[in-house]
Amino acid sequence: MPESKEIQEMVLRIAEIIIEELKLEDITPEKFDPDMDLVDELGVDSMDLATVALVLQDEYGVFIDEDDYPKLKSIRLIAGYLQSRLDGAKG
Amino acid sequence: MGQGREPAVMLMAGTDKCAAPADGCVEEKAAMTPSDAVSPRWKFSELLADPDVRARWEKVRRYFFLRESTYDMCNRCNLSCDGCYYYEGAKQFARENGDPEAWRELMRKEKARGITYVVLAGAEPSLVPELLAVCFAEMPLGSIATNGVLRIDPAVGYRIHISVWGNDETGLRVRKARGLLNRQIANYRGDPRAVFVYTFTRENIDEISEVMAVLASADCRVTFNVFSAPIGYEGPLRHDEASLIRTREVMREMMDRYPRHVLFSPYNIVAHTHARGLHDLYGCSYPRRNDSTAIGLGRSFRQFRTDLTWDRGVACCVPDTDCEDCRHYAAGSAVVTARLYRHVADPLTFKSWLDYVDTYLAVWVMGYEKGENLCAEMVPPPGREAIRKA
Repeated sequence: MPESKEIQEMVLRIAEIIIEELKLEDITPEKFDPDMDLVDELGVDSMDLATVALVLQDEYGVFIDEDDYPKLKSIRLIAGYLQSRLDGAKG
Repeated sequence: MGQGREPAVMLMAGTDKCAAPADGCVEEKAAMTPSDAVSPRWKFSELLADPDVRARWEKVRRYFFLRESTYDMCNRCNLSCDGCYYYEGAKQFARENGDPEAWRELMRKEKARGITYVVLAGAEPSLVPELLAVCFAEMPLGSIATNGVLRIDPAVGYRIHISVWGNDETGLRVRKARGLLNRQIANYRGDPRAVFVYTFTRENIDEISEVMAVLASADCRVTFNVFSAPIGYEGPLRHDEASLIRTREVMREMMDRYPRHVLFSPYNIVAHTHARGLHDLYGCSYPRRNDSTAIGLGRSFRQFRTDLTWDRGVACCVPDTDCEDCRHYAAGSAVVTARLYRHVADPLTFKSWLDYVDTYLAVWVMGYEKGENLCAEMVPPPGREAIRKA
């Protein structure tokens, strides 16, 4: 099933946040591979991920359980996680 | 931002957990229903709106790249101290690998797997100066835990932690060393690498006044450690509730009396003298107590023995410590710091965490200067009481 526009926008916004928070250079949100493994391929560690998660919490107004951090291994997985939280809140 | 402002309400979408610490609010969690699913947590951006907080956050986050592992350098020591961590458990029997090229290769492999900070410890690293030089040549950031009897070559630019266990009388009784403090000061006075680590045991709490006066007069910087019993140890150094309370009092007194020389914060006091140990308060993130290999210390940390092997099942910063009694300064540096999320709760809690991280960096990283503490209060750990009620 193709991704909704909502998810696509979310993927771009998450990429923006990661680039800004981790001070990544030479990459744009559009060129950020949403399936890249943030831990194995980008070298993101727990403190980086915690920082990103806190900013995403603010941005989307959802609670990200610290036990769930290990699940947030790629931008697409983060987007799916956030969307499910938002859907859960509506439901 | 003023602390009187109403905090943001965080929507806890699709969760039955509270936004307070995972293991710090068991009772609240149990009582929570979906309709209660809001938390008075402050937003991260609201906490960072305070310019002082933002500046400190930016200062400490530059060091989030630090990834540590620890290394026993040799199985010999020139002292014989009661309650020594090294001579407990299996690690003391590991064969000593004194081959500098083997260590060089290990350091290169460590760097390749992402380690950026080394802690060189047991039994006594100053006895193997050639290995220290090799490690420093390969890995520029790190620290050495030493008893300070021998001066480590100034070319080895790591932080050096010199262990102090009381006054000279106590040093003679517990460490069988005469005039130890003066020898330590003679070796490390004026050395920018040096941080003296005073370990509070149940027996030496009130000796700190005398020792601190000597160290401060020699312009030595000092941080505090709390004796954490090795497994099975029930001797006189082990703390009880009364000794922890007294330790808390004198730590505060020393911080107030020697603000230029004591590297500590009110939250360090809380975290390390709480009736509950670090594991109980924060959940230890070292492999020994953390099965997850997904991210963080559970993924990257290793504790190498002198034969350059390691065992995930016992890997932590001070192996063979009784985890329930662990209040060790090295453990806290990782365990408290790792719990960023839990401390993003309200201004005082977050400031306390920043003070803790600022302290830890000043103690462990060469060239890092500690700022003034942002929080003067002894704020309780998230979800816990500051002082256990009698």
